[in-house]
Amino acid sequence: MFWQQVINGLTAGATYALVAAGYTLVFGVLEIINMAHAEIFMIGAFIGLLLVTGTGCPVWAAVAGAMAGAGLLGWALERLALRPLRKQGVSHLAPLISTIGVSIFLMSLAMKIFGPQSVRFPASVEPRFFNLFGTVNISLLQIVILGISLALVVALKVLLARTRLGKALRAVAENPEAAGLMGVNVNSVMAAAVVMASALGGAAGVLVGLQFNAVSPTMGIAYGLKGLAIIIVGGMGSVAGAVAGGLLLGAAEVLAIAYIGSSYRDAVAFIILIAVLLIKPSGIFGKLEGRKG
Amino acid sequence: MSGMDLLNVYHLQIITFMAVNSILALSFYLPLSAGQLSLGCAGFMSIGAYTAAILSLHYGLPVFTTIPAGAAAAALAGVLLGFPALRLTGVYLAIATLGFGEVVRVLFLNLKITNGALGMPEIPNLNDYFSALYRSWGLQGDLAGLDLPRLAALTTVVFCYFVLAACVAFVLRQENSRTGRAMAAVKADEVASGVMGIGATYIKMLAFVQGAFLAGLAGAISAHVTNFIAPGDFNYHRAVNILLFVVLGGSELVWGGLLGAAVLSVLPEFLRFMQDFRWIIFGALLAAMMVFRPQGLLDRQLLCRFSLRKKRAMDGMDARASSGEVD
Repeated sequence: MFWQQVINGLTAGATYALVAAGYTLVFGVLEIINMAHAEIFMIGAFIGLLLVTGTGCPVWAAVAGAMAGAGLLGWALERLALRPLRKQGVSHLAPLISTIGVSIFLMSLAMKIFGPQSVRFPASVEPRFFNLFGTVNISLLQIVILGISLALVVALKVLLARTRLGKALRAVAENPEAAGLMGVNVNSVMAAAVVMASALGGAAGVLVGLQFNAVSPTMGIAYGLKGLAIIIVGGMGSVAGAVAGGLLLGAAEVLAIAYIGSSYRDAVAFIILIAVLLIKPSGIFGKLEGRKG
Repeated sequence: MSGMDLLNVYHLQIITFMAVNSILALSFYLPLSAGQLSLGCAGFMSIGAYTAAILSLHYGLPVFTTIPAGAAAAALAGVLLGFPALRLTGVYLAIATLGFGEVVRVLFLNLKITNGALGMPEIPNLNDYFSALYRSWGLQGDLAGLDLPRLAALTTVVFCYFVLAACVAFVLRQENSRTGRAMAAVKADEVASGVMGIGATYIKMLAFVQGAFLAGLAGAISAHVTNFIAPGDFNYHRAVNILLFVVLGGSELVWGGLLGAAVLSVLPEFLRFMQDFRWIIFGALLAAMMVFRPQGLLDRQLLCRFSLRKKRAMDGMDARASSGEVD
C-alpha cells in the first residue's frame, strides 16, 4: 500500500517538478516571478486537448505541439510584458504585477473560449497495468508521464550544462551586465529562458490533462501556487531543487490524502513551505546568502 | 430617475462596498509603505469575516463587538505569520503570504464551525441592526421621505465611511510621524535604516500587523453587510483584486489606493453590459499599466500639480526625493 502511494505520488510530483522547473528557469535568468506561467500551462493543456481531439495524434505529438504553442506564447509574453519593463527606475515589483495581469487576461480569455467547466481529456493512453514486486501496480499512463517528465528535465539539464545557449543562460543568470560585455545578447537569452520555461509548462499541462482526464481554464491556479511553493522549498533558481521539491510535494500530498484526508491536499504545499522557511529560509538547494527579491 | 431612486438599497450597497474596498486598499498599502509586498490581505480578510460571523451566529454577540473582534483576530494571525514571513523580502514574501491565504482558505473549507464549502448564511446584517435600533427608538414610518429600510441602509453607509475616515486619518497621521518616517526609511533601504538606529524588524512587523488588522476589519464589516460568506469569497482572485486597487490607483500614496478602490468598485457596475470581457480587460489593463504608467494613476507629481499649497508640496517631494525614496 505504502509503495503504491509512493508511485502515485511520484507521478503527481513529476508534473509539479516540470511546472516548477519553468518558474525556476525564469527566476534564475530574469530574476522575476512569472505569475503568468500557470496560465501558459493551462493553455498548453488546451492545445494538447485540441490536437488529440482534432487530429487524433499520439500523446508525444500532442506534447510537442503544446510545447511549441506554449513556447510561442512565452515569447509574446517576454516581448510585450517583460522586455518593456527592463529599464532604469522601474520598481522590481512591476514584472510581478504585469505578469499577474497577463495571467488574468489568459485565464478569462480561456473561460470565454472554452467555458468555465472542465472538459474531458480523451484517454489517449491504453489503460494497461504492470505489476511490480507483487503488490505494486504501475499504469502505462504513469510510465508515460514519468518518462516524458524525466526526458524533459534531463534535456533541460544537458542544455544548460553542455550547449552554447546553456552557457549563455548561466552567464546571464550570474550577471547580466558582465554577460552583455562578453558579447552575449542578453535580450535574446532572456527571451530564450521564458520560451523554454513556457514550453516545459505546456508539456506539463498536457501530462496533467492526461493524468486527471480533465482540462479547465482554472486548472492553472492550484498548479501555479504549488509550483511557487516548490521553488522556494527547493531553492530559487535551482533546477535540481525544483525537481526534488516537486517529487517531495507529490509524495507528501499523496501520503496526506491516504492518511489524513483528501480535503487538506491543497494546503500541504504551503505547510511544507512555511516549515522550510522557519528551518532553512534559503530552501533545500538554495545558497546561504541573503534572499533579496 | 428621481433623486430617491439613486438612494435605493442596491446603490447604497455598492457605495458601502466602496468603503470596504478602500479599507482593503489601505491594508495592502500599509505593509507596502514599509517595503513589504504582502498578498495575504484576502487571508486576513477571511479571518476577520469568519471570526465576526462565528461570534455573532454561534455566540449571539452584537455587531459592535464582533467587528473589532474580527479585526483583532486577523491582527493576531498577522503576528503569528509575521515571525516566519518577515524573514523574506520582495517576491518571496509575496508568495509566502499568498500561500498563507490558500492555507486559511483550505482550513475554512474543511472546518465544521465554518460550515465548509457551503459557507455561512444568515449572518446578522448591519441594515437589520440599524432598523431594529431605529424601531426601538420608536421610529415606525418615514423620516425626511426615507422609509425605514432605506434609512437603515443609509446609516450603514455612514457607519462604513466613518470607519474608513478613521482608518485614513490614522494612516495619514502615522505617515507624518516618527514611525511613518521609519517605515519610509526601511522601504528605501533596510540596511541603511538599521545603521540609522531604526529597528527594521519591529517596523516591518508593525506595518504588517496593522495591514492584517485593517484587512480583518474590512472582512468583518463585509460579513455583516453581505449576510453570507464562503471560502470561495477569499481566494486568489480576491488577493489579486486588492493588489489591483493599489497598483491601479497609485502605490506611493494613500490616496492612490483609495482612488483605485473607488474606481474598481464602481467600474464593474458600468461594465455590466460587457460582463464576459470584464476580466479580460482588467488583465490587459494591469499589464499595460506596468508598461506605460508603473506608478499608478495617481503619483506625487500629479498630486502636486493639483495641490493648492504647491510650494509646500513640491518642497516635500524634493525632500523625499533627496532622502532616496525612489520606489
